[in-house]
Amino acid sequence: MTPQPDRAIRSICIVGAGITGLSAALAFARSLPMVQLTLVETPADPANLTDRLPSGLPVMRGFHELIGLSERDLVRAAIATHRLATRFDGWSHSGASWLHAHGDVGQPADGIAFHQLWVAAHARGDAEPFGHYALAAVLAEAGRFTHPSPEPASPLAAIDYGLRLDPIAYHQFLDQRCAMLGIVRVKAGPLGVERRSDGGIASLHCSDGATIAADLFLDCTGPSATLLSAVDQAFDDWSAWLPCDQFMVEDGGSAEPGCRDTIIATVSGWRWLMPLAQHAITATCLASAFADPGETGKTVSVMAGARPHPWVHNVLALGDAALTMAPLLPINLTLVHNAIVRALTLLPGRDCHAVELAEYNRRTALEACRVRDFAALHMLRSGRQSGALWQALASTPPPDSLGHTLDQFAARGRLPFYEEEIFGPHAWAATLLGLGVLPVAIDPAAGRIDAALARQAMARFAQSLRDIAARALPYPEYLGRMTATN
Amino acid sequence: MADHLARKKVIIVGGGTAGWMAAAALVRHLPHACEVRLVESAEIGIVGVGEATLPHIRNFVEALGLDEADFMRATQATFKLGIDFHDFGRIGTNYLHPFGDFGRRINGVELLHYWRRMQAEGEDSDLFAYSIANIMAAQNRFAPPVTDGDHFLSTYNYAYQFDATLFAPYMRRFAEANGASRTEGRVISVEQNPESGDVTALVMDDGTRIAGDLFVDCSGFAALLIGKTLQSEWEDWSHWLPCDRAVAMPSTSPDGSIEPYTRATAMAAGWRWRIPLQSRVGNGYVYSSAHLSDEDAAEALVRSVEGAAMAEPRQLRFRAGRRKRSWDKNVVAVGLASGFLEPLESTSIYLAQGAIQQLIDLFPIDDIRAADRAEYNRMVDIEYDRIRDFLILHYHATKRDDSDFWNHVRTMTVPDSLQEKLDLFRRSGRIARYSHGLFHEPSWIAVLVGQGIVPQGWDQRADAAPSAAVKQTLASLRSHLGGLVGAMPGHDSALKRCAAAIAA
Repeated sequence: MTPQPDRAIRSICIVGAGITGLSAALAFARSLPMVQLTLVETPADPANLTDRLPSGLPVMRGFHELIGLSERDLVRAAIATHRLATRFDGWSHSGASWLHAHGDVGQPADGIAFHQLWVAAHARGDAEPFGHYALAAVLAEAGRFTHPSPEPASPLAAIDYGLRLDPIAYHQFLDQRCAMLGIVRVKAGPLGVERRSDGGIASLHCSDGATIAADLFLDCTGPSATLLSAVDQAFDDWSAWLPCDQFMVEDGGSAEPGCRDTIIATVSGWRWLMPLAQHAITATCLASAFADPGETGKTVSVMAGARPHPWVHNVLALGDAALTMAPLLPINLTLVHNAIVRALTLLPGRDCHAVELAEYNRRTALEACRVRDFAALHMLRSGRQSGALWQALASTPPPDSLGHTLDQFAARGRLPFYEEEIFGPHAWAATLLGLGVLPVAIDPAAGRIDAALARQAMARFAQSLRDIAARALPYPEYLGRMTATN
Repeated sequence: MADHLARKKVIIVGGGTAGWMAAAALVRHLPHACEVRLVESAEIGIVGVGEATLPHIRNFVEALGLDEADFMRATQATFKLGIDFHDFGRIGTNYLHPFGDFGRRINGVELLHYWRRMQAEGEDSDLFAYSIANIMAAQNRFAPPVTDGDHFLSTYNYAYQFDATLFAPYMRRFAEANGASRTEGRVISVEQNPESGDVTALVMDDGTRIAGDLFVDCSGFAALLIGKTLQSEWEDWSHWLPCDRAVAMPSTSPDGSIEPYTRATAMAAGWRWRIPLQSRVGNGYVYSSAHLSDEDAAEALVRSVEGAAMAEPRQLRFRAGRRKRSWDKNVVAVGLASGFLEPLESTSIYLAQGAIQQLIDLFPIDDIRAADRAEYNRMVDIEYDRIRDFLILHYHATKRDDSDFWNHVRTMTVPDSLQEKLDLFRRSGRIARYSHGLFHEPSWIAVLVGQGIVPQGWDQRADAAPSAAVKQTLASLRSHLGGLVGAMPGHDSALKRCAAAIAA
C-alpha cells in the first residue's frame, strides 16, 4: 500500500516507441518500479529527428548511467562513437572554419574568463584561433581521442565528449532493454483519444477495439504530438529565425570513424556530416523558400518551434513532440533526457495540478528559449555575404534574449546569465568568436593582466595541447582497443 | 595597455562598509580602468554591535588576496554556520537555518521526501538532524568544509560574525595600500551637467571641488547623490516588511564557549538578534514603530540581554525597499543608498558585494552604455526581490496571533512570486529552482519546514523502497553525520587555531 494512496500516479502510458518513448520507458521503469507502464507503438514518423539523428551533449552520459546503459557496450556493438567537436565550414564572416568543442577552452587567469583573455590577446595580435586552446578541438582536428581524466588537476580533465548513435542500432538496443525489463507493449494504429471532463485524457482507443487508460500519458509521437495537440494546440513558431524547414538524412557511405563532425553551410541551408562506427550519415537541411524545387524532392518537412506548455493536465510531450528544429545542434537526445529527468524530479500527484505543472513548464521554456537563441545565433550571424537566405537572415531582428547576448558580447565580451542554459559560456564564446562576432572593446578587468605574461602563458598552453594530442591514439585505433579487450 | 589619462575617475561617497568594500574591490580588480577616491566625513569611534554575514563574503575577501586568519583577527570574527530562529512559526519552537544541505540525494531524490514519507508512516525524525551544519552548531563545533564533492564534509559552508566597525577600516587599509585616495570632509553641494543631469563634481565644506566620471553613492540612507540629487525613485516594501526601527547594544560575552551561529528571536513587534563576536556579543531589536514605542523596544532589548551592557542602546531608523534604478545616470548606489532589507538573514553585506561585482562586470569602457546600466539594474533587482520574498516568508509562515504585528504579517497578501513558491511547496515539497543569486533550495526548505509548513504530498519515488530500508538508511545517515561532527574541534578551539596561524 503506497504511503500516498490518493496522490501517487499508478499508471503511465507512453505513446510512441521510437528512441524518445523507449528512453522514457527505461527511465520511468527504473525510477518508478511500482507504477504500471504501457508502451504503445505507433507508426514511425520520418519527421521525428530524434529517431533519424540521435545525438547528445556530454551530459547524456549521465542519463545513460541512470538507465543502466554502458558506454562500453554501446561502443562494442558499433552503436556509439565519440564526438569531441564540430567544425563549421563556410560559416563565418572571414570564411575561415572554426570549431565548437566540448569541454574547457583555455584557462582563466586571476579570475578572468579565458575568452576575455583571448579577446585581449587577439587585439594585440598575440592569439591563435580560439579552437587551438580547447583540448577537445585539438584532438578532434588531429583525428585522435582519449577519455577525460577524472582528476580535476589533470590537463586531460579539460576534455569532454558527446555521443552520436547509429539510429537503427540504438533503437534496437533500447528496444531489447525494454523487453528485458518486461515493459508491456501494445501495437496500435491510429488512436482515438477519450477526454475527461477536466480536459485531460481518460483513455486511448485503439483501432482493434482495445482501450488503454492511465493516470499519465507521455506523448512521444514526434512532431505531430498527437496526444498533446488533442488538449493544447499552442506552438511557438521559430521559423522567422530558423527558416530551414526541410531535411533529408542519407547514408554517407562507409567511412573511418572520426571524433569530429562537420557542418558545411550551403546556399540554401547546410549539410551535416556525422561519422558513425561503420558508416557516415549526411543530413541536408534547406529553407524551402530559398531552395531550388529540385532540392526539396526527397526531403521531410520540419517546422522549428516548441510547445510553450509541454505538460498540460495528464499529458506530457517529450522529444520532438515538445520541440522541433532542423538538425544543427547535437542536442535532441539531451533535450529528451533533460525533460525525462525534470519530469521525474517534479513528478506531480495523480491530479497533475496546475501549480505543479507550472514549474515543469517554466524550466522547460527557459531551456527551450536558449536552445532557440543558440541555433538562431548561427543563422542570424552566419557572416555569409552571398545567398538570399543568409542575406535575409542577417537583417532579421533576433529574439530579445539573443539580442541581449549579442549586444553584451559585441560591446564587451560579456555573456549575460540565463537560467536553464544547456550550452555553457565556452560554447557561446566559441560560436560567437568563430562566427566573427568580436567584442569591440576589451573588458576592463582583463586589462589588469600583463600582456607579455599572457602571451607566454597562452602560447605555452596551446603547445601543451598539441603535445598531448600527439601522444594520443588515432581515433580508429582507440576505438579498436575499446572494443577488443575487456 | 590603457594609459593613466584614460582611467575613469571614480568617486565613492561614504566610507562605511559599502564604500570601503567598493574601493577595495575596484582598486584590486580594475587598477587599469579607474582611479578611486573615497570621500567621507570624520567618523566618531563607536563600539561595534556585531554583524553577521553569508559565505559569499569568503569569496570577496579571498579575491582581494587577503588571508582569512588575518581578516578574522582584524575584525574580531567568529565562525557562523547559520541562524537559529526562535518563536517565528510558533512561540516555543526554534530551528536553525544552516549554510548547507540536508544530507544528499538518495537515488536522485532529495532527502526531504524520504523524511516526509517516514513522517507519514509514523516514523518521525527531525529533518535538521540530516544537516551536518546543524549538528555542528548544536555541539558548538567547527571545522572548515572539504572541497571533495563526494564527501559529506563538503555539504556545508560557513560565514563570519564580526565587528562591523572594524570591517570597514580593514577594507580601507587594503584600498589605500592599493591605490585608493581618501578625502575627509563633508559634501555641501553637488554639481550636475545641465543637459544630461549627470553628476560632474562634489563641492566640499572647505571649498574643494572633486570632479569625477562615475560616482558610487555609499552615503547610506542619506543617499546624497541617488536620492537627494537625482531624486531617483524608491520602491517601498513596508507593507510586507513593517519593521522600520532597530535598537542595538553590545554586551559582555557570557561564560562558556562562543556559539558558531547567530540567533534571531521573534518578539511581539519584530525580532531580536544576538551575534557572538570574539570578546563581546552584539544585540539588537528590529521592530515596527507602528506597533511598539522606542522606549519599550529599548527596555525589551536591555531586559533580554544575558551579559552586562557595554554601551547605551543606539537607535537606527530605516525603511524596507529599494531604488527602482540603483544605477541612475552616472551614479551607482551601493549599500543602504540602493536599498534596505532588515538583517533577518544577514544579507546587507551580500547585497553590497553583489552590486560591487556587477559594477566590475559592467564597468564603463567609454561612455556609460544604457544597455549596461539596464543590465546592472536587472541583476541587482533580481537579488533584492528574491531576498525580499524570502524574508517575508519568515513573517508570513506563522501561526502566531499574540499581537497586532503578528496578525498583520500572518494575514497580509504576499507578492505573487512568494505565493507561487508557497503553493508549490505545500502541494509537493518542491521548490522553484534558480541557480543565480539567493536563496537556494535547502534554505527555502529550512525556513518552510522549520516554521511548520509541511508538504501535503511528496515525490513518490521516495515510496519505492520498503519502509524498513528507508528507516535504516536515514538512521545510518544521522549516525554517520553525528560521527563526523564528533571528530571536529570545538568552536573556541578552532578560533584559537586561527589566531595561532597568524602568530606562526
